[in-house]
Amino acid sequence: MLRLIQNEWMKLWSKKGTWVMTGLLVLAILGMFGLTKWVNTMNNSEEQDWKMSVQNELTYVKEDLNNPELVKSEKERIEGKEKVLEYRLANSIEPLSETGREKMIMGSSGIGSIAVLLTVIVAAGIVASEFTQGSIKMLLSRPVKRWKILTSKYVTVILFGILLMLVGFIVSILGAFIFFQSGNGQELVWNGKEVVEVSIWGKGLYMLLLSFANVFVTATFAFMIGSVFRSSSLAIGLSLFIYFMGSTLVMLLARYEIVKYIVFTHMDLTIYESDFRIVEGITMPFSLAVLAVYIVIFLFISYTTFIKRDITA
Amino acid sequence: MEMKPVVELKNLSKTIGKKKIIDNLNLSLYPGQITGFLGPNGAGKTTTIRMMVGLMEPSGGDIVIDGKLLADDFEVGLSKVGVIVENPEMYKFMSGYKNLLHFARMHDGVTKTRIEEVINQVGMQNRIHEKVSTYSLGMRQRLGLAQAILHRPKFLILDEPTNGLDPAGIREFRTYLKMIAEKEGVSVFVSSHMLSEIELMCDRIAVIQNGKLVDIREMSETQESHYYIEIFPTETAESLLKAEGFAVEAHNDGFIIKAEKTQIPGLVQQIAANEMQLFAVHPHRKTLEDQFLEMTGGGQIAEAHTK
Repeated sequence: MLRLIQNEWMKLWSKKGTWVMTGLLVLAILGMFGLTKWVNTMNNSEEQDWKMSVQNELTYVKEDLNNPELVKSEKERIEGKEKVLEYRLANSIEPLSETGREKMIMGSSGIGSIAVLLTVIVAAGIVASEFTQGSIKMLLSRPVKRWKILTSKYVTVILFGILLMLVGFIVSILGAFIFFQSGNGQELVWNGKEVVEVSIWGKGLYMLLLSFANVFVTATFAFMIGSVFRSSSLAIGLSLFIYFMGSTLVMLLARYEIVKYIVFTHMDLTIYESDFRIVEGITMPFSLAVLAVYIVIFLFISYTTFIKRDITA
Repeated sequence: MEMKPVVELKNLSKTIGKKKIIDNLNLSLYPGQITGFLGPNGAGKTTTIRMMVGLMEPSGGDIVIDGKLLADDFEVGLSKVGVIVENPEMYKFMSGYKNLLHFARMHDGVTKTRIEEVINQVGMQNRIHEKVSTYSLGMRQRLGLAQAILHRPKFLILDEPTNGLDPAGIREFRTYLKMIAEKEGVSVFVSSHMLSEIELMCDRIAVIQNGKLVDIREMSETQESHYYIEIFPTETAESLLKAEGFAVEAHNDGFIIKAEKTQIPGLVQQIAANEMQLFAVHPHRKTLEDQFLEMTGGGQIAEAHTK
């Protein structure tokens, strides 16, 4: 199996396109940082006093808490936020500057959306291209069972996704050090008992992991379409369409119970680290379970069609 | 044939939709033998070959490779088979060497030294590190052969192998196939449209038509003793030949008779004694093309073509 993965990896990196894509990823991230830096220097507005803004935020949070329709989980979350804000004021601890180096490292989940795009291209083509090149005949007339070959391809796609995320993370750390100054602030969180400090590295990696769920699911979907229809363009098109339309669909269906069981609702796990949620009443374990079910379905379809197929063309 | 067959097809069938593509095919292939697989277009050659190498699933019947059912143990069965299916479609964006490395990793026990050895055997050592997209069709065929023999298969299946090779290449290829068949006891199964090629290469031919095996013949058998003889006057000659007990068949200006070599001098003396005019006596060989058309019936090829 290891040798099969080695093969797929060799084929992947023998294509110029793969190198170009990785290069694009690096350029895109650096470009994004450059742009942010440029915009920041352009509107160098007057520094607002951080105590003022924290005080303002606290007022909003207290108002939110008075809302009687709040779900329990939601209420706990907002209470945690309240505790952190009060702690900041009491101990005079500044929040991270929006334009500081630390914030940039933590907010590196933007890598996810670029990585999704590129991983989908690879996932869509890894089976389909064997068919279009005709090399599938050479590949499958070997003393290796088909499920092993498909598995090696799937593992390669996921490894490629992981690699892109890591490269993206490293590049964004470098970018953060090159373009941005370190701030005085400190990231704090309510752990249920007390307010504690958060390591920016840990948080950054955690965000990366959460956004990887998206890469994983979308790539698996593209892999399925690619191996069922043997057309990489169809797979790329469909996957990206779904990726971009998913959140719109969720918004449209947000009022209905069914939205909880749609894959799009759960693809972006970073929502659990942000304040904004379209769908109420879902939790991280629930999301993970739904995603797992979808992945199993996608893979089941890929494997059954790939193993049964007669190679005729 | 006393030897144990390397490959046996038993009542092999394939139905696609309602159409029977292959209908109860039975065929055994023996070590050290080169078997030609002939048939008009659409007869089911490629389908048969694809079932033998696991690209297609048979609808019925068994494929036995080296005594084991392919359906039971695919990996063990196919590890003994080397394949070139039609034009070898290699990974064009990689070098020839990487392509070989790729296929070597899919077999057990193919070492780097073995890869080098095979590269030398097919004469590719000078350009093996260039990308396959720069190769000519003939070079791709050589690379195709190289990947098929990497793991020293007991059984080699070739579909249209000489397509795109130059005359020297074809000859080299033929010599090589004969060599591995004789020395290593490899059983070779070649499908081709080039009848003259098959004739030079094969020990045995199997002819398929409309999914059914029409005939299996040993090539030596087809080269049995027929003689062409041209004598004047024709009528008396015919009665003389018949009186001598030969099977006579009119051919061009003379006759074809079935006779052993040892009978010929006696016959010539007879003709001289009868003061007939003898113009020619030479061994007559039906070409494979004649036999092929005879076996499949010329008309049915045309039918298959029009479909």
